[in-house]
Amino acid sequence: MNLKKAEACERTKLERFLNKVQLPHFYKNIGIGLALLSFIALIMLNLVDDEALWLPPALKHAMLIGLLIISLSREKIEDELIETLRSKSYALAFIIGVLYTLFQPLANYIVDFFLGKQEGPTEIGYIQVLLFMLLIQVGFFELLKRSR
Amino acid sequence: MENTIKVERAILNLTQDELAQKIGVSRQTINSIEANRYVPSTVLALKLSALFGKPVNEFFKLTTDD
Repeated sequence: MNLKKAEACERTKLERFLNKVQLPHFYKNIGIGLALLSFIALIMLNLVDDEALWLPPALKHAMLIGLLIISLSREKIEDELIETLRSKSYALAFIIGVLYTLFQPLANYIVDFFLGKQEGPTEIGYIQVLLFMLLIQVGFFELLKRSR
Repeated sequence: MENTIKVERAILNLTQDELAQKIGVSRQTINSIEANRYVPSTVLALKLSALFGKPVNEFFKLTTDD
């Protein structure tokens, strides 16, 4: 079996599809810029009283898109170790995201209870969960990359 | 799994960066393989085998833990 055949055996159709989904490396800076700008704009909005109702959700969506672009961008040298680390970071983000969804309302309820607010458990929005999962994925991927 | 990639690389008088370029990976990947932090795929092992001119099991050895 030659190298090409061995490579074809190791790379599944799904893996080849995922490689096509990835963006070129320079998109990473665009993603970072978009995520940072929307984050700064969200903070600035909290300081201003007169705000448009549509603006906060739009900025949260922009931040989500920015993080997704970072997550999908290739590295300068995209080799098999990077692919392994990326898969691990997605798995970790998924598990931690589910745990966050399960326990965050409970944690809020406990804090509210001790502060005397006495409100029922609150639901968390899908944007909050997705932002959290993408932040965990991007963060863990960078951490794993540095410790490789 | 342990390996003697570092020795084989020294025989060919290659730096980690040069070896990485020859087999199409990053220098950090070569470093991780040499430090036994990462076990490469069959494809990468065969590429190393072709470069060193030796069978894979001459520079990759199973340990008692495997």
